[in-house]
Amino acid sequence: MKGNRIAIAPYVLIAPAQLLVIALIFVPALYVLFLSFHTSSFGQAPIFVGLQNYVAILSDGYFWRALTNTVIIILIVVHLEIVIGLGMALLLASWTRWRPALLAIILAPYAVTEASAVVIWRFLFEPQMGAVGQALTALGLPTLEWAVEPMHGLIMVALLSVWLHLPFTFIILYAARLAIPTDLYEAGAIDGATPWQQFRRLTLPLLLPAMLIAMLFRYIFAFRLFSEVWLLTGGGPARTTEVSAVYLYLEAFRYHSFGTASATGWLLVLASFGLAYVYLRSIYKEMFRGQA
Amino acid sequence: MAKRKSLRISSLFKALAMLAVCVWSGLPIALIFISSLKLPRDIFASPPSLFFTPTFDNYARLWAEAGNIFQGLFNSLIVTIGTMSLAVLVSLLAAYAYSRYRSRWLSVSAFFLIAIRLIPPIVITIPLFPAVNALGLNDTHFILIILYTAFFVSLGTFVMRTFIDQIPRELDEAAIIDGASRLQVISKVILPLSAQGIVAVAVFIIVYAWNEFLFAFIFTSSFAKTAPLALAELNDSFDGVQWGVVFAAASVQLVPILLFIIMTQKYLVAGLTAGATKG
Repeated sequence: MKGNRIAIAPYVLIAPAQLLVIALIFVPALYVLFLSFHTSSFGQAPIFVGLQNYVAILSDGYFWRALTNTVIIILIVVHLEIVIGLGMALLLASWTRWRPALLAIILAPYAVTEASAVVIWRFLFEPQMGAVGQALTALGLPTLEWAVEPMHGLIMVALLSVWLHLPFTFIILYAARLAIPTDLYEAGAIDGATPWQQFRRLTLPLLLPAMLIAMLFRYIFAFRLFSEVWLLTGGGPARTTEVSAVYLYLEAFRYHSFGTASATGWLLVLASFGLAYVYLRSIYKEMFRGQA
Repeated sequence: MAKRKSLRISSLFKALAMLAVCVWSGLPIALIFISSLKLPRDIFASPPSLFFTPTFDNYARLWAEAGNIFQGLFNSLIVTIGTMSLAVLVSLLAAYAYSRYRSRWLSVSAFFLIAIRLIPPIVITIPLFPAVNALGLNDTHFILIILYTAFFVSLGTFVMRTFIDQIPRELDEAAIIDGASRLQVISKVILPLSAQGIVAVAVFIIVYAWNEFLFAFIFTSSFAKTAPLALAELNDSFDGVQWGVVFAAASVQLVPILLFIIMTQKYLVAGLTAGATKG
């Protein structure tokens, strides 16, 4: 009797968390898989169409455009973040004065909602009057016409995303840097290592795992990019700055084509799991180690 | 001699780099707040006016012309507090179970919890939107609270677990020998001792729920519309004409959460490191 109660207790404790996740994420996600093989719209019973939705989106130019934009933005944003974030982490780690205040300034963009970030960046890059717009003109450089030029729109989205998500990348690298024991550097200094050698042989290899984790998470989260694009360009002009999530949104909520939206959604899910495969496998191995 | 000179140059270089970092991270935010206190003619003054008489005109106009931003702030507050309470409670219970018990099924469920978090939120809106409408939950605080909790519970659970793991099991066992139930152990022993972890998780949830846009955009329209959504609509409708009012709106949404982050940055750092490495 007592043994029985002990065996049940943990399942009762995890039940609320599991039920929420199952009801609101797992079951809907499975239903999206089901819908992706059907045509469906408001008030219409799903009709089985096999792979037709996948064929439809894969032969849709807008889908490929959105996917290309997504990949371009991810490649720019994530790698810029890693490089700048690493620089910032090493800079702050070698800094002793006002560290809490500097940390607060660096973390500040974490508090900013996408809606505010868009206000800020529209203001700064306003072509005629904005501070950056004026500075670019003064330097004889072209301003960012993000509302007109698709490429400029994507650059704005990328800049804004880097700004918004840098605190996340920074803090992971900063914490990893602080975790490196100082005597390693002292030993390096005694052996006569130059700062560059210390960075190449010591800092970089020891930070590599943290860099991979930060990159992985940013890849997965950048893949769902929606709000920045939606609020800045709405996917326009003429659907040229759409990303995958915006494409999905338009299919589902503007054209009410739940089938093709679901097919897009399921491809997003597969891509996310594909990106996370190595990470999930290592977690799985760690968890089930020593259990038959 | 030469070494000292190169040292001075490198510290000058470092100082300049740090200045650049501060300008990049902090100036855009400072600019919004400062500009919200300027008259329209000063906002785009060239060169930028450093000295001006602060005015609350923009805030007065915000109150008079776009008052629904304040309703939005109130809705955000309800959703944030609701999400925080529910997610902390649910995560604490699950984290305790994962910290103190071992079984194959528990490992399976923990793995499930981590994996499910990888599903992009927008995907599940496709079937949820009609379901939420059918249940009459559209445009309610409740739907946002449970959705936010569902997406936050795995991070919350595993961050909290790293903190509970540090509490010696002997304390639980002593309490149980004294006749405490599991729930009493959690509320009387674990809760006070894992306060740090609870605050770390709460900080994340508060920032997330206060700022979330996508679910609010899809599932609310008027009654439960949150502040980020109201702000985005204001920014769109004014189309750059009434910048001062938009800045005032952005400031009232941003300043409270910014102060909150500054006050709790210690926990944010602790939680982010625990969360990023533990799943």
